[in-house]
Amino acid sequence: MVKILQKKNFCRWIDSLSRQYALIGPVKEREETEFQPLRCPEQLEMDYISTMAAPRKFIYPSRQLLFRFTPQGDDQLITEEILPQSQQILLAVHPCDAHAIMVLDRVLMGEFTDSYYTKQRQNTFLIVLNCQKVDKNCFCDSMGTGPFLHSWMGQDPAKGCDLELTDLGDRYLVEFLNGKIRKLFSFPLETANDEDIQLKKKREVGIKEKFIKKLNIENLPSSLRQNMDHSVWSRIGEAICLSCTNCTMVCPTCYCYNTVDTVKLDLSKSERYRYWDSCQELHFAEVHGGNFRSTRGARLRQFVLHKLSYWMEQYGCFGCVGCGRCINWCPTGIDLTEIVKEIRGTKINEQYS
Amino acid sequence: MNNTLRPFMARITSIRKETYDTNTYQFKLKKNPGFSFLPGQFNMLGIPGVGEAPISFSSEPDQKNKFEHTIRAVGRVTQAITQRKEGEWLQIRGPYGRGWPTEDARGKNILAVAGGIGLAPLRGFLLEVWKNRNDFGKVVILYGARTPDDLLFKEELPLWRKRPNTQLLLTVDEIPPKTRWEENQGVVITLFDRVEISPQNTLALICGPEIMMRFVVVGLLQRGYSASHLYLSLERRMKCGVGQCGHCQIGPKYVCLDGPVFPYNEIRGLPDTLV
Ligand SMILES: Cc1cc2nc3c(=O)[nH]c(=O)nc-3n(C[C@H](O)[C@H](O)[C@H](O)COP(=O)(O)OP(=O)(O)OC[C@H]3O[C@@H](n4cnc5c(N)ncnc54)[C@H](O)[C@@H]3O)c2cc1C
Ligand code: SF4
Ligand code: SF4
Repeated sequence: MVKILQKKNFCRWIDSLSRQYALIGPVKEREETEFQPLRCPEQLEMDYISTMAAPRKFIYPSRQLLFRFTPQGDDQLITEEILPQSQQILLAVHPCDAHAIMVLDRVLMGEFTDSYYTKQRQNTFLIVLNCQKVDKNCFCDSMGTGPFLHSWMGQDPAKGCDLELTDLGDRYLVEFLNGKIRKLFSFPLETANDEDIQLKKKREVGIKEKFIKKLNIENLPSSLRQNMDHSVWSRIGEAICLSCTNCTMVCPTCYCYNTVDTVKLDLSKSERYRYWDSCQELHFAEVHGGNFRSTRGARLRQFVLHKLSYWMEQYGCFGCVGCGRCINWCPTGIDLTEIVKEIRGTKINEQYS
Repeated sequence: MNNTLRPFMARITSIRKETYDTNTYQFKLKKNPGFSFLPGQFNMLGIPGVGEAPISFSSEPDQKNKFEHTIRAVGRVTQAITQRKEGEWLQIRGPYGRGWPTEDARGKNILAVAGGIGLAPLRGFLLEVWKNRNDFGKVVILYGARTPDDLLFKEELPLWRKRPNTQLLLTVDEIPPKTRWEENQGVVITLFDRVEISPQNTLALICGPEIMMRFVVVGLLQRGYSASHLYLSLERRMKCGVGQCGHCQIGPKYVCLDGPVFPYNEIRGLPDTLV
């Protein structure tokens, strides 16, 4: 079902959404744009390029209460599961981030389903906004996840997303990917014609020409596996990487977590939380008597190889959607596409020479 | 929908002291909600307010409602478990992971090589073998500990030695003064020359500190064992047990799902291991 929404009606259209759902979308915050709960549709920043934090945090929070345990005498323990209750609509999510959420679906809703993620995911509608601008570090075009929404490595937008928006200048092309979301809007839309659909195609061709950053993904998983002893890991890992964990915190597909228990001061209750952990942390692979990734080089290699190699064997897709965040937010300018280029033996960026 | 992270409560029915820092805990389930396990698999054991840790089964699998864990106190959770008494409970979820290759081992000789706490995950397998003695060939156990005081299952070891068609060789790294010790001293590979078993038709099952497993693998390959006959149980940090917290990854493998017991060929050449 393809419709047209005039931009002048955009806020009224969003306003017509059922009140049952929390609206979350890109909002301007000083220099940056961040996904935030919306107070009103006027806050939406539809022209954004990228956000610092990925929208994953609204489905998989950075810190989350899992259980509350209350002992009853010596013999009983009441275990409360604290499942997320909110119903929400994520608005204007770019295709790379939408695919990243579908990647997380593979990890957390596979053979073992994570109840917390699954509940929040099932209560989340995803409204995708095709990209109009390309940042210097965006390489979704190389990965195949963007700049417009398509199926990618077995991930079907018709199954994982709900609505696709394309900016056509004075109007949006509105493509409903399922019937459920259509019922949430009460504002009437015009029917799209052939010209609108052609214009979408033209816009996609136009934006694909703007990419500066590229990554050659041909045989990438295996060529990285053959270069685990490459000097790039220790050189960049030891001399440049700070192990600050920014890359894994901003990455839209990172899923690793740690758990921590806390006890109420009066000892009446305890709680079990989980929070995002990072393979860049020194403790991540530590056990009694040793640490399997005690060097920064080994930890950097874990990040890059997980995203661009191991993930393929584990889940049948890349763990990188080409959003460019880990490059944008690395304080020392480490760039996984440059690491790949060095390994593949092509010309490298001067910062590493 | 089942919450995979939700633990249930299991009562400690008895505690046996193994060494100064290691106890064996027996658990009994009142009603069994379909719980059964294989030797080499593990549970996540927990205490509210402290946390959870992965611990292998150390008992034989045919007693489904009754199982044992042998635990060495090294950190937060394992030390807190040491404070628990008989009749009290722990949180449990599991069983998780892939255990020892019991089916493949049928008709073959077994060489079990253990270091330290690494004998615990092998005990259930060995007890199972002796229960079905005719299904397996010769059993040789090489067990190394730091000192004679660190040996696990001290009361059982003499009985193991008397089992039919079984050879048990012990070794320790150090012998403190005034300690009686009539067996070998040295790392576990110094026992290799005394093994009365041929490499053909023998599966080697190895569990211990990873650096020890590395030397054992090298030694066995040199002695003509085929790489496809070696199995190792690996230890990594784990928070979930179900392939989601990410800590136990070695290359594309999850130790909690694909292991903890791995055929050597599956992990050979992977980064961030000592083996
Ligand atoms: C599959 C499997 C089976 C196992 N089976 C057994 C078994 O049968 N018996 C047994 O005794 N053990 C077993 N273990 C090992 C056991 O799970 C670990 O020893 C576990 O760490 C114990 O948890 P803990 O909370 O007591 O220790 P932790 O508190 O996790 O401490 C363990 C070690 O890690 C270090 N450490 C912990 N947290 C940090 C941090 N934040 N920063 C830096 N260092 C830190 C500590 O120095 C300590 O040496 C098994 C492990 C696995 C993976
Ligand atoms: S690895 Fe970097 S570029 Fe790829 S998805 Fe993660 S943050 Fe984005
Ligand atoms: S191992 Fe590292 S790169 Fe991979 S998901 Fe976990 S934190 Fe992210």
